[in-house]
Amino acid sequence: MKTKQWYLAVTLIVAMLLSACAAPQAPAADSSGGTSAAATGGMTFVDTPRNETLILDNLGGSLERPENFNMYTPGVEMGRGFHELCTDHLWEIDTVTGEQFPSLAAEMPKALNNDYTSFEIKLREGIFWDDGVEFTSDDVIYTLQMWMDTDAIAIHGWAVDYLKDFKATDKYTVVIDTTRSQPRFAKDFGVTIWGNRFYPVPKHIWENEDPTNFEFYPPVCLGQYKFSKTDPNGNWTLWQLRDDWQKTSVGQVAEKAGPKYVLWNFVGTEEKRILAMINNDIDILQDITPESMQVLTQRSDVVRAWHAGFPYADFDDPCERGIAFNNSESPYDQWQVRWALALATDIKNVSLGTFAGMLRVSPLGVPPVAAVQNVYHKPLVDRLKAMTLPDGYAPFDTNYALDMAKIFQEQGVGGELPTTDAELIDLFGVGWWKYDVDEAAKLLESVGFTRNADGKWLLPDGQPWSIAINAPSDFEVQSGRLAFAVADSWSKFGIDATVNSMTANSFWTASATGQYEAGSYWPGCAIGADIYPNLSFWHQKFIVPTGEPAPGNQHRHKSDEIAKILDELEKVTSDDPQNVELSKDLLMQMALEMDWIPMFGTSKFVPVNETYFTNYPTADNYYEGPWWWWSNFKYIAAQIQPKQ
Amino acid sequence: MQFAKFLFSRLLTYVLVVWISITIVFFVPRFVPGSPVEAVLGRLMSQGTTMDPKLVQSMRETLTQMFGLEGTLWEQYSSFLNRVLLTWDFGPSLANYPTPVSVLIARALPWSLGLMLTALAISWTLGNLIGLLAGYHNKSMTSKAIETAAMVMYPIPYYILALLLVILFAYIWPIFPFVFQVSGVPGSWPWIQSVAYNSFLPLMSIVIVSMGWWIISMKAMAIDTKEEDFVQYARYRGVEDNKVMVGYVARTAILPQITVLALSIGGVFGGSLITEILFGYPGVGTLIYRAILGSDYNLILGTVSLSIIAVATATLVLDIVYPFIDPRIRYK
Repeated sequence: MKTKQWYLAVTLIVAMLLSACAAPQAPAADSSGGTSAAATGGMTFVDTPRNETLILDNLGGSLERPENFNMYTPGVEMGRGFHELCTDHLWEIDTVTGEQFPSLAAEMPKALNNDYTSFEIKLREGIFWDDGVEFTSDDVIYTLQMWMDTDAIAIHGWAVDYLKDFKATDKYTVVIDTTRSQPRFAKDFGVTIWGNRFYPVPKHIWENEDPTNFEFYPPVCLGQYKFSKTDPNGNWTLWQLRDDWQKTSVGQVAEKAGPKYVLWNFVGTEEKRILAMINNDIDILQDITPESMQVLTQRSDVVRAWHAGFPYADFDDPCERGIAFNNSESPYDQWQVRWALALATDIKNVSLGTFAGMLRVSPLGVPPVAAVQNVYHKPLVDRLKAMTLPDGYAPFDTNYALDMAKIFQEQGVGGELPTTDAELIDLFGVGWWKYDVDEAAKLLESVGFTRNADGKWLLPDGQPWSIAINAPSDFEVQSGRLAFAVADSWSKFGIDATVNSMTANSFWTASATGQYEAGSYWPGCAIGADIYPNLSFWHQKFIVPTGEPAPGNQHRHKSDEIAKILDELEKVTSDDPQNVELSKDLLMQMALEMDWIPMFGTSKFVPVNETYFTNYPTADNYYEGPWWWWSNFKYIAAQIQPKQ
Repeated sequence: MQFAKFLFSRLLTYVLVVWISITIVFFVPRFVPGSPVEAVLGRLMSQGTTMDPKLVQSMRETLTQMFGLEGTLWEQYSSFLNRVLLTWDFGPSLANYPTPVSVLIARALPWSLGLMLTALAISWTLGNLIGLLAGYHNKSMTSKAIETAAMVMYPIPYYILALLLVILFAYIWPIFPFVFQVSGVPGSWPWIQSVAYNSFLPLMSIVIVSMGWWIISMKAMAIDTKEEDFVQYARYRGVEDNKVMVGYVARTAILPQITVLALSIGGVFGGSLITEILFGYPGVGTLIYRAILGSDYNLILGTVSLSIIAVATATLVLDIVYPFIDPRIRYK
């Protein structure tokens, strides 16, 4: 064979390989410029009609064991529709008001005595599992008994400590006795943020299984959707609307169902997720960066974020970001040092450096979400203004919102901002601490810090002061960026500040064991007026030595005053008027002690594609927050409708 | 007798290499800051779920016990050795508890083997074929063009090429999927088609880059070999040109390529980490990546041990069979 024939043969082999592999289901571009299922006969890759299939980004990535639906095993992945659509809770959360409402339960729990140790739970009648068996008090009792009997499930120890007795008094009524007073029983067994640990399981299926290794596959659902199929390779899971959706809590409460199919699909890296949404292959994205949001708005006219224009993001995520320290270690055990660092933080530049200014500021240890800001941040402005440090210095600055508006005017995007001061405060927050490096220097010098000839700060023992800030490397983008912006601010002040970018397990291990100086953490979460359940961990009784994993108070902040208020708060119920007043005292005390430096609420860019579906929650259509990964998504899904 | 001595010494080395490597893999993740228990708790707390400190403590204790992380490092190591040596059981995956590590590996391994062996077979065969032609006819313009192309292909990081392929063939000219989405009943013709279709871009990202290396190395060896005396002698004897190329040059130049091929076959058990992550390909590379991120000690041990054993075994087999391939080599 001649040389030319060899080359020809090789070329042919390559060509054959190419043509053989590039055969099936190649989609073409649709009219909006992207590929879509319309080009493949209007069907999705899981053989469902595209215009009846709501497709969500699967933020958890691909799964190694997609067949595991046992919510009581540590390896289960809940966030692929299982938590959002299939399981259900006794009480759900209304993310607009921050109030709980009955979901599987027919009403809020009734305390049967004055010391809150006995509760009656009435279940809704007419709720069915998707296999046609009725949901009754037997399922609730079976689940609780399983908690008590199975020491190899993670919840067991807590259950034994919390539950004294429980019984079904009839088919729809359960009475639970607790080992001690639990004024917030509904918070312990109902959703506050994201979900709750109490997932009732179907007794008729679980009673013959070992709960420690039963995979609950296929899962049987209480929500209005049932399991359809999952990718053996773990990239997607499909859920189908139940024919009997009226026999679910959503059916009874919302009286609506939602799209016929809901698909959670893992597309890959952020670039691929963005391209997929531009191609109309994803309807809802979970969380992206501001830069990706910009690409989406430029490349697609059917994609929108929470706000149709600037600032795009939703500012109401219920956890706020900031910098926390190990307060048991020198020099962060001194309030003067923590306050000096707060005053040396140029918060406006930090906001611009983190998320281009698209952030709502918060001086308090709870997030500035609308429902919380109205109860705490705004009413406490006068007390914040009047607050002084022991040297008489008043640190609060109310001008943040107006200053940010001016900055945006100068950048040419001010036209999209609200015009009144009150609206600007709603958007950007009530204010923060002054950027006052002179006062910061004064505080540091008062506890023995000095500066060298280069203006760099030295510790009281004369050593250069360096701070390493722990930050998430490949998750929670806002916290990761915040650390760099804060480090920049502190470096300008003369501190050698650096950032340790860490993977999740290292980041959380350092937090639990206290083996860090500073970290870009988010210990301030809350969604409604009752903030005690989310802040009780600050009690000093939970402090353990650095090196040991802490059950609470990971930041090891010791305070008799905070402990005293928390002890009082523990005794009051959620709806007791004293609750809010005591909580205000708690927040002011935390601010005065600067137990950590809260900075911003979390901004989530959670875009939706309106090609196939409409009536998503948005700033203009605020019936729920855009928390697609929470258990209450089943109530959001009920409102989302196919586009006509 | 000489063969028996050789075999014994090679087997002893093999066992020592495997044991020392697995021991290192056991200890290293445990010295890295990051605990699988805190990873589980952190995942729960980062969602903002209300976690009362009593619940946190209770979960921490239960998880530590369930994950077999109680006791000193030596106690954990001896228990691990007993388990692995006696039953070849790596225990449950900590991040996917209670799923056994063996189940996860058994699921991922065929995908990695399928992708990597196919890529290796294609790139090795085509690369050597093209390299041989280019080396044997090294004065031609085509040969120079091939060498230039190979020099360009070889240094490209395969993840850059992978991204480029995605942008070109999944976005600009959307004929391939963004992510690995196989459909159809496993084993059926539509499923096979779907696997081929979904695997094409990952496959090409590996083939194109690795083929560059095979071309360059084979070309260099072919050029050297064709100038050897025995090749010149064959030509003077009037042996046909193609026979010289295949029977004399190729047979000699291919030997080092076979060595590298054997070692590469051992390496395929580790999957192709970045390609698998970029394409969402469900292979061993993805498993290793996730195991490291989640401090999943058992899964790290299982997957990395598999790679260690595969490479060590490939080397052992190569040492034993090489004299049959190359008559110049003898057992000593």
